[in-house]
Amino acid sequence: MTFKMKLLVGTGALLSFAGGVALASGPAARTAAPEVKKHQVPVSKDGDIVLGLCDGETTMEVDGVKDGQKMTREQAQRVSGALMAEWLKKNPDANWDPVPLPAVAQAATPPPPKNPEAPRSPPGVPRTPEKPTAGGSVVQGGVRPESGGKDVKKQAGAPIQDGHTYGAFSERDEAIWAASTQAFVEEGNRVFHDGDLLGSTVAMSCDMCHPDASNTHPETYPKYQVQLGRVALLRDMINWCIENPVRGKPMADDDPRMRAMEAYIYAKRKGTALEYGKK
Amino acid sequence: MANKFRSIETKHYAERDAFFEDLKKLDRRAFMRVAGISAGIVAGMGLRSPHSFQLVNVADAQETKPRFSFAYISDTHLYEQKLNDRFVRAILKAVDDVNALDPQPDFVLFGGDLAQLGQASELKLGAQILKSIKAPVKMMVGEHDWFLDMGELWRELFGAPNYSFDHKGVHFVVLNSILEKDFWTEKKLTPMERMKIVAGLDNALQSRFEVGSEQREWLKKDLAKVDKKTPVIVFSHSPLYKYYKPWNFWTDDADEVQAILKPFDKVTVIHGHTHQLLSNQIANISFHGMLSTAWPWPYAPEGLPKLTVQMNRPDPFSQFDGCGNGRMDVLEAGLVNKLYNLWERNPITVRASYLTSGGKQDVPPRTKLPSY
Amino acid sequence: MRLSSGAALPLVALLYALTGYAEPPPRQPAQPPADLPPGVSPALWKLVVPASAAPTPEKVALGQKLFNDKRLSVDDTVSCATCHDENFGFSDGKPVSEGVKGQKVTRNSPTVLNAMFNASQFWDGRASTLEDQAKLPILNPREMGMPDEAAVVAKVKAIPEYQAEFRKVFNRDVNYDDLAAAIGAFERTLYSGNARFDRFIQGDSKALTDSERRGWALFNGKGRCNTCHAGNAVNPLFSDQKFHNIGIAAHKQDFVKMAREALKIVRTGDEKQIDELALETDFSELGRFLVTKQENDIGAFKTPTLRNIGITGPYMHDGSLATLWDVMDHYNKGGVSNPYLDGGMQRLGLTEPEIDDLVAFLYTLTDERFTKLNQKFLTQQRARKNQRPERDTAVAMGKKGNLGDLAPNPDLNVKNPAELGVYGTELSVKPAPAKKP
Repeated sequence: MTFKMKLLVGTGALLSFAGGVALASGPAARTAAPEVKKHQVPVSKDGDIVLGLCDGETTMEVDGVKDGQKMTREQAQRVSGALMAEWLKKNPDANWDPVPLPAVAQAATPPPPKNPEAPRSPPGVPRTPEKPTAGGSVVQGGVRPESGGKDVKKQAGAPIQDGHTYGAFSERDEAIWAASTQAFVEEGNRVFHDGDLLGSTVAMSCDMCHPDASNTHPETYPKYQVQLGRVALLRDMINWCIENPVRGKPMADDDPRMRAMEAYIYAKRKGTALEYGKK
Repeated sequence: MANKFRSIETKHYAERDAFFEDLKKLDRRAFMRVAGISAGIVAGMGLRSPHSFQLVNVADAQETKPRFSFAYISDTHLYEQKLNDRFVRAILKAVDDVNALDPQPDFVLFGGDLAQLGQASELKLGAQILKSIKAPVKMMVGEHDWFLDMGELWRELFGAPNYSFDHKGVHFVVLNSILEKDFWTEKKLTPMERMKIVAGLDNALQSRFEVGSEQREWLKKDLAKVDKKTPVIVFSHSPLYKYYKPWNFWTDDADEVQAILKPFDKVTVIHGHTHQLLSNQIANISFHGMLSTAWPWPYAPEGLPKLTVQMNRPDPFSQFDGCGNGRMDVLEAGLVNKLYNLWERNPITVRASYLTSGGKQDVPPRTKLPSY
Repeated sequence: MRLSSGAALPLVALLYALTGYAEPPPRQPAQPPADLPPGVSPALWKLVVPASAAPTPEKVALGQKLFNDKRLSVDDTVSCATCHDENFGFSDGKPVSEGVKGQKVTRNSPTVLNAMFNASQFWDGRASTLEDQAKLPILNPREMGMPDEAAVVAKVKAIPEYQAEFRKVFNRDVNYDDLAAAIGAFERTLYSGNARFDRFIQGDSKALTDSERRGWALFNGKGRCNTCHAGNAVNPLFSDQKFHNIGIAAHKQDFVKMAREALKIVRTGDEKQIDELALETDFSELGRFLVTKQENDIGAFKTPTLRNIGITGPYMHDGSLATLWDVMDHYNKGGVSNPYLDGGMQRLGLTEPEIDDLVAFLYTLTDERFTKLNQKFLTQQRARKNQRPERDTAVAMGKKGNLGDLAPNPDLNVKNPAELGVYGTELSVKPAPAKKP
C-alpha cells in the first residue's frame, strides 16, 4: 500500500446539488454560492482502488484491488484502519474521541456471523444498549392497562390534572413508545453496520471508522464543515461519508436509511448537550 | 342516521353562518342583527351547559362564600377573519361560555390583546363580538391593541385605558400596564414595524412594560380615598411583577406599583399576557394569570413563581387545548378563587387560600408532565 | 421488514426501567407464539399477556367451547359467538346487538379479533382485561340474562362434561373466575395480522393498488386519521386506545341535557349499575364518562382498532353509520358539533375521489382469511355509495358552517406520507439480501 497526500482544490458547486443538498433556493443564489470542494482522489497508476478519508486530503491506494472490484470486509477494515492511523499521525493533537468502552467490550465478543460469505455484510450487528428513549418522564395516574371501573375510582381522587391528552397516557403507552423508538434506532444500527444497505461498492460501512457511532458528534451540527466549504447538517456529513470512504450513492434526505441512521447516531449520544457550531 | 337527528347541528350551522356573514359587514345596522342572532345562538344552544363551570361545586365554608362572581375572556389576538378564523372561532366559543353561565356573572373582564396587530379591522371585529356578551364588559388594553396607533382607536372604541370602579364593596382598578419607553423613534420604525416588534416575545428590540410615573400618580390619588380594609382588585395586562424579562413577562416598575398597593389588606392582581396557568403571592398581593383563547404559551425558562401550579403541556393536535376562559369568585373575605375553564380538559380551581397559605392548603391538582 | 425479536426483547426491560416505580415488576411476560403473522407485534403480545394468562391448549379448548355455548345464557339462546360470530369477523353485522328474547342493547358489537391487545375492553373501557369483560355480558339482562354469578356456575356445573373439563384444566370445581379465564385464553388466540396491507408494508409495493396507496397517504396526512388510529410496527392496531368524543353521541337530540342529568346521577353508581345504565338506557351515550365521571369524557368512546374494519360494520359505538363512506362523511364535516367535541375534530375538506381512496385503503386492513367476506362487504357498501345521510359537502369544504381552516393540499410529489416506510416510521429498510450464490 502506498499513501499519497494531496492538497485539494475546489472543483465547483455541482456536487452539492447532485447530492440533493442545495444551499439556496433561487437560481441566482446558486450561481453566487461559494464553491464546494470535492475530495478528488488521485488515480492509481495500476488501476487500483483509491480511497479518500473524510479530512478531504488523506488518500490511500489499495494494492491488488482494481477499481470496480469489491473488497472483502476484512480488506476494507484493514484499509480503514490504516487510513485512520495515517490521519492520526498527521493530526497528533486532534480531538478524536476514544472508542467508548462498551463498544470495545462488544467488539471483543462479536456475535457469530449470520452470513459469513457475503463480503460486505456485517458479521451480525451488536445490539444498541437498551435505553428508554421516549416518555420516561410520565408519572403514574392515567388510564392503565389494568384500569377499568375499579382503578378509575381510585384515581378520581388523585390530585393530578386530568381529562386531557397527556393525562391519559399509561405505562403501556410508554412501553410502546420506547419500543417503537428503540426499533427505529435498531434499524439505524443495522444500516450503519451494513455496507450493502449503505450501497457501498468497496465494502465499507460506517462502523469501521465510527464504532458505536463514536466521533460522529451529531450534537455539533449545524456547523461550518471545512471539507464541504459550507454549513452542514449531520445528514450532509453522513452523505459525504457514504459518497467518499464508503463509495456509495448519496441518499435522499428523507431516505428511510438516512432517517434511521440519524436516529441511531443521536441515540448513541444521549445525554450529550447540544452544541451547534462546535469545531 | 335519520335526518330528524340533524336539526340541532343544522340550526347551529345556519345561525353560525349568518353570524359570520354579518361579521363581514361591520356597519351599524348589521351589528344590531349580529347582536340579535348572537343572543339567538345562545338561546338555541340552551341545552349547552357552560359545562366546565357547573361541575366545580364547592362546599364552601361560610367565610369563603363568594360575594359575587365575574368571568373573563382574555388575549384573543384577533386577525381579520378571512386571514385567520381560528382565533375568531375561539373568542366566539368563549363568548358562548360566559353567556351560558348560570347564574350570570356580574360582569365580564376582557383582559387585553383583543387584536393581534392593533389594526382597525381587528379591533372593530373584536368590539362587535364582545357586544354580544350578555353581562356588562370591563375592558382592559394589551400591547397588541396599542402599539400600531398608540391606543388611538382603542380609546375611541372603549374609552380610557385606566379607570376604577366600585362593585359590591370591592374597589376595582384597571391599569394600562403595557406602556414602553420609546425605542422606535431613534430606529425610525414605521408604526407597523413597532407593532410587530412589540407583538413578538423573543426579541430584544423593544423596551420593557411599565405602568409609568404618570399613571402611578393617578393610582395613588385613586387609592387615597379608599379605606385600607376595602378589598382591592387590580386588572393589569402585564403581570405587575417580574417574571421573565427576555419575553417581557415583566413590568419594569412593578416594585413601585406594589408599594402603592402595600397599605391595603386584601389585594388581588388579575393579569393577562402570559397565556398560562400562573399564580403568585408577593407579600399582601395575590396574582392570578388568565388563559388566552388564542394559544397557550410555554413557561419561561426561569423566574416562574414557585406557587404556580403549572398546566400540563398542551396537545397540538387538539386545536383549543391549553386555551380557555374563566371565572373569578370574589369571596366575602375579599380575595379571589380563580377557575380556569380549560377547553378540552377538566377545569382547575386555584383558591385564594392556596396562595395566602403559601401553598400549604387547597393545593390544586398537579401536572402530569413537566413543561418544556 | 418484519419486526421479529428485534423490539420485543428490550420491551420488558424498558417497561421496568422507565420510571422506577415503587411496585416491583408485577408479572413475567409469556412467550409469544413463534408463528405470529406479520401484522401482530410480538412486543405488544408480551406486553399484554401475563404469564399467568398465557393460553394453554387445554384452556383454549375449554374457552372455545364456552364461547360458543348458548347454555351460558338464561334461556339457552345466546352465546358469546352470537354477537361475536366468526362469519362476521367475530362481530355480528348488526347496528346494535341482540341478546336473549330478542332484546336490543344500545351498543354495537366490537370484534373479538385482536381484542386481546386492547388496553381496556368495551366501548367505554369499563373492563380492564378480557376476563373481566367476559363476565359482564353473561349477567347483563339484555344480553345473556343470567341473574348472577352463582347461577352461571350452578348451571355449568350441572353439565357433566364441563365439570370434568374444568377439573382437568384448573384442577378445581367450576367457578366464575375460571370460566372467564378459559374464555379469555381462547380470545388470546384470536389475533389477526395477515392483511394485504401487511404484505405492502413488508416491501411488496404491488400488494396495494394506486388508489389504496393514495388512501394510505391520506390516512397519514390530510385525513388526520393516524392521530387517533395510530399504527406502527410495535403497536399495529391502528388505535390509540384512548377515548374521544367525535360527535356520534350528539346525534341524540337531548345529549347535552342528558349529560347534565347524568353528572348528578352516576356519581353513586357501582360497576354493575354503570354496566346496566350503559346497555339499557340512553345514558349509554355518555360513554367513557360513565366510567371515569370526568366531564371531559362525556360522549367519549374508545378508538376501535381498524384491523378487519371492512368486515366488522356497521360502525361507531351505536352502529349508526352503515358504511365506511358514511364514516368518512362524518369525519369530513368535522363530526357533529357539541360542547364536548374532541379538539382534534376539524373539517377535512376531502374530495369524493379522496374518500374513495381512503375507503379502499381501509379495506386492505382485513385479514386475508376473510378475503371473500371482505369482498362481499365492499360490494355491499359500494352498492349504497349514493345513499349518504352523513354527507355534508358544503361543511366539509368550508362553504358553510365554521369548523376550522385547512392547510393547503400537500404536494405528494414533494412529500408523500405513504412512502415514509412502515407505519410512517423507518422500518421499511429492506433486510440485507440473502446469501448470493
